[in-house]
Amino acid sequence: MTAQFFYDADREKKNAARAKALQALLIEKGVITSKTVDTVLGYFETKMGPFNGAKAVARAWVDPAYKERLVADTAAALAELEFPEGMAGAEGEHMKAVANGDGVHNLIICTLCSCYPWPVLGLPPYWYKDPTFRSRAAREPRAVLKEFGLEVPSETEIKVWDSSAQIRWFVVPERPAGTDGLSEEQLAALVTPESMMGVAVAKAA
Amino acid sequence: MLTNFEQFAVTSMMGAADTPPRANGGLCFSEEWERTAFGVALALAREGHFEWEDFRQQLIVSIDGWEKSHELDDASWNYYERWLAALEAAVVESGLSTRDEIEARVAESEFADAKIPGAKQ
Repeated sequence: MTAQFFYDADREKKNAARAKALQALLIEKGVITSKTVDTVLGYFETKMGPFNGAKAVARAWVDPAYKERLVADTAAALAELEFPEGMAGAEGEHMKAVANGDGVHNLIICTLCSCYPWPVLGLPPYWYKDPTFRSRAAREPRAVLKEFGLEVPSETEIKVWDSSAQIRWFVVPERPAGTDGLSEEQLAALVTPESMMGVAVAKAA
Repeated sequence: MLTNFEQFAVTSMMGAADTPPRANGGLCFSEEWERTAFGVALALAREGHFEWEDFRQQLIVSIDGWEKSHELDDASWNYYERWLAALEAAVVESGLSTRDEIEARVAESEFADAKIPGAKQ
């Protein structure tokens, strides 16, 4: 085991050295700059991702009027928040939010990954594009959710929304109990991508 | 429809053989060099130094090569190691650099004197 560990550590070092050498070479040639990697990754880490959806959901939790607007006109409601450019543009204008509550639990599925509401949910999990998941979720959502560890009460209706190129759905989960004193930012931290897909609910920390 | 290159690039890999590891809606990098390799590849394709699809083909070949020479449950599998190999191949093929130039630079690097199996000393 020890030998294996050292081998792996060396391999890490070797890969790190190769990546760094290649980057340095390309910077020296003027092909990229020292900021290029951060710029590319910034897109995934700070601009477009589940943190945007979480921000909108947290706002909906503290402001019922915003929640109504978010469901009635998702694009306009998202545009109210200070999201990076592009959020409510060509991609965002097709997004629609559905809210859990009043005896309804929502679940979103999609056939094509290009239909995933990336700006609010980030990258889809690996199982999401699995045709088996999609077809079973459409046919027997209650059983599928149970497999995800989410037991939806029998009196709660489950609505399944299939995203398409025209409309990309996301779920506004219910605010968890025991979160009265939390700030909007603290609330946003409770909103997981899974809860906005409807395969989980938001839970108090 | 897909107006942003970063989004297009990653979306095109979803559900495919070269789909990158991810969790909680984000990409997963276990080390800084993985992030570097990812960012450099996307930037080069975005700037038109090579086609994204060509890079993906290199990556698929690189993944395939590993899978053929290792057990499926080999714990030493590293997605970004395959990515880095594909990136080097794409950089050489596009004429941005040569294999010799890359190897020379690696040899000069601060890790070159470490006893690294498989590294050119």
